[in-house]
Amino acid sequence: MKRKYALSASGAAKIYGDLVALAPLDLAIKQGERIALVGHNGSGKSTFLRLAAGLLDLTEGTIKVIGEPVGTSPARAAVSFLPDEPVLYDDLSVREHMAYIAALHGVEASPETFDTLLDRIGLLPRADDLPARFSRGLRQKTSIAVGLVRPFNLLLVDEPFVGLDVSGKEALLELLEEVHNDGAAVVVATHDPSYVERVDRCVALRDGQMIHNGPATPSEVVELVGA
Amino acid sequence: MLTADPDADLEFSLAEMRRQRKRKRLADVHIIDALYRADLTALVGGGAIYALAGAIGDTPLNAGQLDSVTAHGAGWLGLAMAFAVAIGLRSGSRGGPLVLEQAEVRHVLLAPVDRTTAVRGPALRQVRFLVFVAILVGAVVGILTARRLDGNAAAWTACGALYAAVAVTVSYGAALCAAAWRLPSWIGTTIGAALVALALVDGLDVVNLSPLTAWGEIGMWPEGFGLLGLAALVVSVTVLLVGFVRVGDLSVEAAERRSTLVGQLRFAATLQDLRTVIVLRRQLAIELPRLRPWLRLPVRGTGRLPVWTRDWRGILRWPAARVGRLALLAVSAGLALRGAWEGTTPLLGLAGVALFIAGLDAVEPLAQEVDHPSRAETIPVERGVVHVRHLPAAVAVMVLVAIVGAAVALALEPSVGGLAVAAVCVVPAALGGVAGAVTSVLSDPVLGGGGDAWALVAPEAAGMRLVMRTAWPPALAIGGTLPLLAARSAAEHNTSAVGAALTASILVVAVFALVVGWVRWRDDLHAAIERALPSKPEPGAKDRTRET
Repeated sequence: MKRKYALSASGAAKIYGDLVALAPLDLAIKQGERIALVGHNGSGKSTFLRLAAGLLDLTEGTIKVIGEPVGTSPARAAVSFLPDEPVLYDDLSVREHMAYIAALHGVEASPETFDTLLDRIGLLPRADDLPARFSRGLRQKTSIAVGLVRPFNLLLVDEPFVGLDVSGKEALLELLEEVHNDGAAVVVATHDPSYVERVDRCVALRDGQMIHNGPATPSEVVELVGA
Repeated sequence: MLTADPDADLEFSLAEMRRQRKRKRLADVHIIDALYRADLTALVGGGAIYALAGAIGDTPLNAGQLDSVTAHGAGWLGLAMAFAVAIGLRSGSRGGPLVLEQAEVRHVLLAPVDRTTAVRGPALRQVRFLVFVAILVGAVVGILTARRLDGNAAAWTACGALYAAVAVTVSYGAALCAAAWRLPSWIGTTIGAALVALALVDGLDVVNLSPLTAWGEIGMWPEGFGLLGLAALVVSVTVLLVGFVRVGDLSVEAAERRSTLVGQLRFAATLQDLRTVIVLRRQLAIELPRLRPWLRLPVRGTGRLPVWTRDWRGILRWPAARVGRLALLAVSAGLALRGAWEGTTPLLGLAGVALFIAGLDAVEPLAQEVDHPSRAETIPVERGVVHVRHLPAAVAVMVLVAIVGAAVALALEPSVGGLAVAAVCVVPAALGGVAGAVTSVLSDPVLGGGGDAWALVAPEAAGMRLVMRTAWPPALAIGGTLPLLAARSAAEHNTSAVGAALTASILVVAVFALVVGWVRWRDDLHAAIERALPSKPEPGAKDRTRET
């Protein structure tokens, strides 16, 4: 049987008028693979993740998730996107958010399941509070809980460590490791060169063009994209 | 890892969760708040009906006028319908008409829930509300119109309500279809403009080609039932149904952009903060500066006129859409000025507003300076001096706009005398547009602005200030067109039209000089006023906080 890639991009590009945010990109990510997406500000990392999540329309090319065109129902079921800027409901508590998102993905999770996840990221004491009144870091933690409370084959994470305290960062790294162990592919866009030590492959972008696709050490990342 | 139940009814879950949120929201609504809103709506509605009654009047039309209404009514109602369709197409090509909550876009539209089901509910609620309002407005207009026209009042009322409901139906349906088919914005705008142009020439009885005249017949049914109107009704409902069937095909990107910006846009509009409205509207339309300017000005170190050069570097990066809009405004102003010259004086107002809007684009470099007040504080030059140095480029742009407008006005009926008058009117029109725009950009938002100086003024003056702040900038722009009025009056009295225009131009130039003086010394004026306040500390120059 032909093995499906978690993600395959063919000539995927995003162009705004005369601004090329992402030049045609070919990339395949196997199931269970861990990828670090690195690049300076404006290199196209977030654009690529948003295209893969179905939040942006492709200008050219195709992106498939588990063999299905991005944006289709099976692809949406297979992708979880953790944005750099959390987007949450104003009138739902953390726990209500989790119940809502889980229901939208057909998950029948018990309150204990929610609490276990919240406890791991240090959000259990605030589970019944409104994230709208949280600090940036706590909103980021809520976003992580919401992104992980549902099944997925591909986890896309944009600048995950921004705003997190040390314990939050450690918890997230552990969770990402578990997600990988469960067989999901993980793509993390980050400015942190040391993160590449935790992944199988590093994809570097510069000005919307892919300049590296393979293993890399932190020092090589610094050389590729600058400190 | 969690697993999904393949048999789960996701759409049912979505509906259930939405019901819960709605119950929660309703439980949070306070009865006094609800009564206050109802009271306010009734007051505004009553005021609108009163104003409408005054505008329509109640003197029955004579036989000639009735014949004219019968002959041209459908055409003019078709023009109104064309505007409704154009608005729908424009909205749909920019991701409308729906404005979803951003979290709904992120969590619901990215979930494996059927998008058509997910989006249909909000769309249905929106169109239901709009149709309800349209029926009320249409019925009121029908009642008021019936007093001047022949026929049964109940028939006019019913047809007025039906016409308005159909207008909303076809406009909303067109918007849904445009959004579902991902119609590019420029195509939506072009089709809309073409429909309006066709309806206009139809209304003027030049060429009867507008398809939307059939829709106009619905409003004229009390004068005689026609099958074309019935066909239009069926087409409208069909367009709406097609829109609802395809509603799930909307672009998530456009939906998210809209969800992010429209809330801010409405808030800025509520505060009557025109500059913020303009900036957000540009973002909504993805109106970005060109990476490659139309003409690249070489950078040769520090020039002698840095502000002038900076302004032209910005202007030369204007996107084609903005250049096209300025051209359209110039043409509109030219046509309106021609109409005013022919005798329809109120068209001067239309021309002035077109020049004011064009002026808002022309003063963009200055507006950007105002958007970032901290930048001005870091340079060793007074803010007023920098602002004044931005004006020449804006005037130059507006002179070009006014020349295009004058050319259009002349092209309708070329003459040497007309050319001389137009030549004299170009500069005052440009100065008026810039004066209005610069006053708007540099003034504080109507609500929430004003600083401490307004603490001295009695609260009763707030309403007057609101009216002044809103009306003054366009009034300045309209003032720039007065030389044309003076010229027309002189021509009617067989005196020199050019001489009259020149005399009036001096007045416009003097007003412009006052505006320039205000731009240069307004900080000093504010400081002097605020120093007069005994309990306030030394004022700072910064009064705008739109830094991004």
